[in-house]
This record gives sequence, C-alpha cells and structure tokens, in this order.
Amino acid sequence: MPSTLLQPDILARAEALGVMAKQVVEGLRVGDHKSPYRGFSVEFVQHREYVPGDDIRHIDWKSYGRSERYTIKQYEQETNFTAHIVADTSNSMRYGEGLQNKHEYAKLLAASLTYVIVKQRDAVSLRLFDSDWRAELPGSSQMRHVNVVCKTLEEAKPADKTGTGALLEQLAERVSRRGIVFVITDGFDDVEPMLKGLRHLRFRGHEVVLFHVLHRDEIEFPLDGNVRFIDLEGIGQLMTRPHMLRPAYLRAVQEYLKAMEKGCDVGRVEYVRMVTDKPMQAALGDYLVKRLQISPR
Amino acid sequence: MMLLGAAAIAVPLALHFFYRARYRPLPWAAMTFLKQAIEQTSRRLRFQEILLLLLRCTVLLLLAFAIARPTFSGSTAAGRGESVDAVFVFDTSYSMGARDGEKSRIERAKEAALTAIENLPPRSTVQIFSCADRVAALGPISPGNLDQARQIVESIALSSLTTDLLPGITEAHSALERGAGTNKEVYIFTDMQKLGWDRQAAAIRAKCDEIKQRATLLLVRCGNPERPVRNVSVVDISSPGVEIPHSGTRIPFAVLIRNTGKEPVRNVAVALEVDGKSLEKEGEVIEVINPGETLPVTLTAKLDAAGPRVVTATITNDDLPGDNRLDKIIVVRDQLRVVIVDGSPDTRDPKEASSHYIRNAILPVSSGDLDNYFVRVTVVPADEAGPGLLGVCDVCILANVPASSADRPGIPGLSKEFVDRLGEYVKNGGGLLIGLGDNIVPARYNQVLGSTGANLLPFDLEDAIVATADKPFKIAPDTTDTPSYLERFKDEPFRTVMADVDVMKLIGIKTTGSPNGRVLMRMTDQKPFLSSRVIGEGEVILVAGSLDARWSNWPAKAGSYLSFARMTLQHLTGKAARGANRVAGDTLIWNPTEATKPFAVRQPDGKRVKLGRATGGEGGKKLTVTATDTSLAGVYQIGIEGEEPLSGPRFAVAPDLRETDDLTSMTDGEVEQLLGFKPVFLQANEPGIANERSKREWTVWVLLALFFFAVGESFWAWYCGKAW
Repeated sequence: MPSTLLQPDILARAEALGVMAKQVVEGLRVGDHKSPYRGFSVEFVQHREYVPGDDIRHIDWKSYGRSERYTIKQYEQETNFTAHIVADTSNSMRYGEGLQNKHEYAKLLAASLTYVIVKQRDAVSLRLFDSDWRAELPGSSQMRHVNVVCKTLEEAKPADKTGTGALLEQLAERVSRRGIVFVITDGFDDVEPMLKGLRHLRFRGHEVVLFHVLHRDEIEFPLDGNVRFIDLEGIGQLMTRPHMLRPAYLRAVQEYLKAMEKGCDVGRVEYVRMVTDKPMQAALGDYLVKRLQISPR
Repeated sequence: MMLLGAAAIAVPLALHFFYRARYRPLPWAAMTFLKQAIEQTSRRLRFQEILLLLLRCTVLLLLAFAIARPTFSGSTAAGRGESVDAVFVFDTSYSMGARDGEKSRIERAKEAALTAIENLPPRSTVQIFSCADRVAALGPISPGNLDQARQIVESIALSSLTTDLLPGITEAHSALERGAGTNKEVYIFTDMQKLGWDRQAAAIRAKCDEIKQRATLLLVRCGNPERPVRNVSVVDISSPGVEIPHSGTRIPFAVLIRNTGKEPVRNVAVALEVDGKSLEKEGEVIEVINPGETLPVTLTAKLDAAGPRVVTATITNDDLPGDNRLDKIIVVRDQLRVVIVDGSPDTRDPKEASSHYIRNAILPVSSGDLDNYFVRVTVVPADEAGPGLLGVCDVCILANVPASSADRPGIPGLSKEFVDRLGEYVKNGGGLLIGLGDNIVPARYNQVLGSTGANLLPFDLEDAIVATADKPFKIAPDTTDTPSYLERFKDEPFRTVMADVDVMKLIGIKTTGSPNGRVLMRMTDQKPFLSSRVIGEGEVILVAGSLDARWSNWPAKAGSYLSFARMTLQHLTGKAARGANRVAGDTLIWNPTEATKPFAVRQPDGKRVKLGRATGGEGGKKLTVTATDTSLAGVYQIGIEGEEPLSGPRFAVAPDLRETDDLTSMTDGEVEQLLGFKPVFLQANEPGIANERSKREWTVWVLLALFFFAVGESFWAWYCGKAW
C-alpha cells in the first residue's frame, strides 16, 4: 500500500525538476554531482605531471609533443550525494489543522524530497528529532528506502520540546562525508544555538538548507476574541485578547524571522520559508525551480 | 431609584468577569512571541481595559443618575417625579403689604405659593406657617390635603408685627421632622427685609444650615427689586401743648408722620378722628415729605364725652398701608381733681403757703372762673390729710410736708394712715408730685416715704445743700433725660426760661441704691433736680427743691414753672390711659372686678376670641384677664363673653413701627453671605417657580455627560479594537 505521503501531483513536478547539489558533494559512485575528487570524467580541470603507477591512457600526448614532458589531464569527477533530511517532530510542530498542520507539512516535504532524491539515484538519510534524536535512517539510494522513510515519517508523533541547536551540532560531528542537509523545522527554539548548529554543519562542508515551516497564524496572528493559549511544549497557558497584542506580536515575529534570515545568510545557509497554507506542490516546486535556476549547471 | 440604577454598574463588572471566564482554548506553538508581546503591551492593555471598564461603568452610572433625575440642592432632594414634603413659611409682617407694583407683596407670595402647590408631584404634603416676629401654624390639618392648603394660602392675612424670620425657620425645621418622605423643600415667602434677617442672624444661619442638611431651602422674593417702596408712617399722636383732655373741648393733637422710604412722598393726606366719627374728622394734605423727614401735623379733635376715647390718625397716598393708621386711647375727663397737702399753710397770707404757687400754676384762670374750670384743686394742711382724700383725686401734691408730725416740733406731718393709703394710691395709677422745703428732714423722709418706709421716693434724700447768694445753683435743661415728658425743656423757649432759674437751696439726692428711680433733670453741677419713679401703674415725681419761692425764684419764672406744672399734671393724668395703648404683639391685661363669667376680646377685624375666666384674685391679688393675640393693629375691646356690645375696656394697639424704620431688602448675595451657603432664590412674580424643581435637576447635564461618555466609550473601544 503506497504511503499517503507520496502524492503524485507533488512528486510529478518535483521529479521533473530534481534536486541538484549546488556545491561539491562527496559520493561513493559516479553520479550527476560535482565531487571534490579529481577523476576521469568529461570536465577538464588541470594537468599534472605523470608519476609511475598512473594509467598511461590518461597521458596527454599532445602536451608531450609540445613539451616532451609526461603530463596527465585531470577531469572533474562527478558523483552522487547523500541528502540528510533532518525533520523536527517536537510538539510545537503540532499546530495547524489538516494539511496546514506543520508536522504533516514537514512530513510531506521530507517524503517528497526523499522520493525525488532517491529517484535521481542519490542517497537519503532521515533523522527525526525533538529534544533528542527520535529516529535515524542511514543513507540509501534504493527505491525501497523511500518506503522505509515514509513509514518512519508516518509513525512519527510529536512528543517533546525542541532542542535543535545541540542536535545539529551532534549531526555535524557525526556526518563526515559532505552532502546536503535539509533541516525541516518551525524553528521555535533558541535562535542562536540553532544558527550555531547550522553554521557548524556548513563548516563541515555540507550544503545546508533550512526549511522553516510556519503556519500563517504564527506569522500574521489573525486571532480575535478571548483566547487561552496553551503552550504546545508545555510551558503553560496565557489568557488574553490576541487582537490587542497583534502589533507587539507581529513585531516580535518579524524580529525573529529577520534574525533567522540574517543568521542563515551570514552562515551561507539556504533559508526557505514554508508557510503551510501554500500547497506543497507549489511550495516545493517553487523551491526546486529556484534551486535549479541558481544551480552551477 | 437612583441607587437601583447605580447598581447597574454591576453589569459591566459582571460582563468583565464573565468574559474573563469565557476564554477559547487554543494550543499554540509560538508562545515565545506571545510572551514578548504581552510583556510589551501588558501595562498598556491593562490601562486600556481599566479605562474602558471605567467608561462603561460611568455611562451606566450616569444613566442611573439621569433616570433618578437628581437635583442640584439639598442632600435629600430627589427627582421631580417623587413626592415632596413642602413647608411654606409666609412672612406676614406688614411690610409684605407694600404695593410696589400692580400687586402687593403678599399677593405675589400667595400666587407663588399656589403655583408651587400646583406643581407639587402627586402624594406631596404641605405645611403652612405664618411668621412675623412669632410663628403660627396655619394648617392644613392633613398635610396631604392640598385643596385645603390652597384655601389657607388664599386666606393668609398680614399682621402689624415686625419681621423676624427665626421663629418661622425654626418651626419649618421642626415641621420637616413630621414629613414621611425623603424629598423635602422649605419655601420662605418674604420680601427679604433686612430687619428680619439681622435680628437673630447667627441663629438663622445655624438653623438654615440644619435645614440644608435635610431639605432644599427656597427663598421666594416677593418684593419688586426695581421699585422702592414709598412709605409714610404715623409715628405718634401727642398733645403739642399742655392741654389736659377734658370733655367739651376741641384740643390740638400733633400727628407725627415720618417718611421711612427712600423717595419723597407727595400729597399725603393726614386725618384725625375720635372714636371713628368721620363727621368730626379733620384733615390736612402735606404737599411733600422727604425721605427720613419727620413732620408734626397739628389737627384738632373735639372731645365730647368723658372717658377713654380712641383718637385715630390716618394717612393715605403711600405704598405701604400697614402703618398708615395709628389709634391712641386718651382719657377725657370731666374734671381733674388735685389734692395739695400743704406742709406750711398760711391762712393769713396765702402767698406764704407752700401750696400757693403750685395751686395757681395748675389753676390758670381767674377766681371767678374757677367753678367752670375742669381742674378742681383741694388744698389741705398736713394734719387734715386723711386717706379718704386720695379716693377722690387724680393727682396728689405734697408741698413741703414733713414725713410725720414728729419730724419738726409743732409742724404737723403726714399721718401713717395717709402714707399707707398713698402707697396704694400710686400703685393703682395715681400721680404724686413731691416738693421739698424747710420742713423736710431727709432722714425721716427716707424712713417714712423712702427705701426703709413706704418706698415711694425715686431716691433717698441726703442733706440740704445751700448755694451762696452770689452764686446760686442753676438748672441745666440740657440734662433732661429723653424720652421723658420734660424733654421739651431741651428746646426753646422752655430751655432758656428753665436755665434762668436761680436755686439757692435744695436737698441732696442719693442716686445710688435705687434701681427704679430716674433722674429727669439736673443742675449745672450735675446734682439731681427732678427725678421720677414708676410704681405700679402710677408715678412719683420728686423735686429736689421747693415748689414755693423760699428756696428759689422758680415760681417767679412763669414760663418755666407754669410749664413744668402743666406738663407734670398732664403726664400724671395721662398715665391712666397708658396701659390701654399698646404695640402689636404686646399682651393686653385687664383687671376686672369680678370673675364669675368668662371673657372675650374683640379684635380690630371684628373677630371675637375667647379669653376664658380671669385668673388670680386669691390673697388680695387682682383678677387678671390677658389677651395675647394682638398681631393686628387697631382697637381691641375686652368684655364678658357673649355680651353685645362688649362693656370692658378698649385697647389701642399700634403697629410695630420698627418694621418700617428701615425697609431695606437684602440682596441675594447678602443673604448668601449671611447663611454661609447659597439657597435657591426665586422671584415670586416670575414663572420660574413653576419649573424650578426641574431646573434644579441635573438631568440635562447628566444626559449630556452620558452622551459624551458614550461617545468616548465607543471611540475608545474602537481604538482598542474591541466591541463586546
């Protein structure tokens, strides 16, 4: 039985667009993405002097004819990559109804990305977290891995507070091979530790994409009447009339969002805001198109 | 009702807490931002909430106020719709009779009171009082009977008394106690005459302050502030000469009139009549009398018969009728009987007798006319003076008579029986003139007639004082005590002739120790010369010198001596009518001879008032009948109840002229200053009295405030972005 997280209309467009690595990634086999290693592909990079042991097939005889020195032509190696999807399953992701539920939205995004990436024969690993790691799937590029990922996502239930920063730091230490890290979270955590974790990943050579999943209510705060706000992460309750707080709330949110965007920009982390009232097909499609447009190829 | 309305402010409070309880639960993720927002806005929000709550409470409170229709004055005053316990106090002093416009003040007061009654809410009560210098409850018997109250108002009559508002205000305060409601009003209908407020200003202030705590005080000004009152009063009727009224003569009377207003009064017709006989009325028209001016108008009146006669002076052509008539009772005699007890008679040479000059002074006719003259003089030596003589005399004169036969050897003095009877004679209204001389032993006089004896002397006597031939004592007419019957000696020509008298010897007068005595005239060195003392209904006149020519040349100074004798005789005989001439408010007292039947008094308006039986009579005391209700000026007559006509004595009651001495009215500001707070001032002839109660309401202002607060609430609610 196919997973509900794999929706054809989303996947059809995403699959066509694909997920290309914007920077070099380290893979185990030849693929479509630039590798840091020099190999023998079609994209010339440089000459180097022949040393014993090199395959003589790669000697550039034309260069020998001009300089009588044995040189070898080096080409840019293309490889596959491993995408690390890191999804937030903390309680704060429970906000929203139906398709606009942040948790559901994040799962859909994670599953769609997994399908698209695996479909282009790149590997995907999945990690779910709240205050700790709740699920970890190693990287795999096999199609059946998609099902495993989807099942893991479907079984994920928000259960605890968020601890994004520390966990991203851990991830940066644990994943040595450079790849793409997709962090899917609402970011309702301490901003600075979270940005620090993202920067750490970036420092380790990963391409880092932060999918900031937010509900429209959380951005625009269009609430009215008397509301008893119950903190999803268990801090407590607040009774107020939200319309009277709206200006101050919007100021606080805007400051936060600016801080997030600026922090990501400074750390060269790609910041992608995903508002859950935008259909995933459009949201993911738009993102992939944009990514394709600024891709090096 | 207002309290019930005010309870409505519980509504927004309840809503406030009700909505506080009705909060929609919402699981929320972005709690951090919410907390930040609350931290930033909590003070502002709380302020907005409290302000909004206050605005809404105020709106409801104002609505409650508006519904209750509160008033400006009076802590107990409530809205127009609630019943009122009203107390009406009418100033019935006769200045309220002033016609200072088309209507008199009292007419305006009545109309204002009727208007006030018409505008009383249903189930209101009224208590009505009249007040001049005393207060009278007029009714109605049932305070809720407004028809009866209207009748009472229409029948209110003026008195001849002065204004003193304190009794009325005090009674109004007491009447407030009797009202069952909480909405009380005290109306005082008055011309605001200064006299009525000034007499007991402190007590009025205190009482009004008490009234203010419990009721609304409304002062209804009944006078016309734009037109001063033109008033001329009949001040007195007196005899300008030394005539003693006796029957069959036409004697002159001086009618004293005074302009007490602030404008000259022209063409004042003055008339005089006796016993109301208009046929014998004599009149004169005074062309003009200026403000403050007092004019004597001499008119004659024919006195036909002996006995008490009512002489009435009237004037016309001014604005205030209350003091335009003055009645005075004079005693007209057929004969005036004088007994002279001579202490040194001389049958051979009557000129040497001590009684010679005084006898001639009171008999200014030739010997041939003595039988036709109305004054009959009997001269007796001291040893012949028996008590029986005093039963048939009007005036007794002691001329140089020793107090007893033991005072001067060989000179007869007064008998004890005579002295005893003399005391009783004076107390019953007899007049006694005592002249001194060489026969007088001061110490004996004091023992017999003075403070240690019959107590008839104005002062005890001291030793004789003798002047030197070249420096006689002089009488000082300027020292004449006023008012007194001798005050004319201060004026010319009496003053000069009196000052010309040389006195060589006189008896010292001990003016200390006798509080009842009064020095009427002194010598230039301040020694008392003439003194008097009122004893009972009679009076004693003491001359410190002699009535003959031995100690002075006074008898030779005819202008002085004769005048003194006639004035004294007139004064002492006039005392007989003195108790019959009273001022409004005085008590009328009559001593009847029997007390078998009850008595009544007929008042000037013809109304008879029962007086009951005479009191007293035990232990030799006199029977006494008293009539206390003398608020109207005019002639009163007491008699046996039921008899027609009444046969008792008549009394002439004059209006209390203090009322018109100063007709100045207080301004609103002066009244406010006197009271220490601002009562509600109304003008009787203005329509404001009808809607005064609604004018006192705050309703319009409250509604206006309500409107503004409601607009403010709406704006603030909109600004705060909320609307329940």
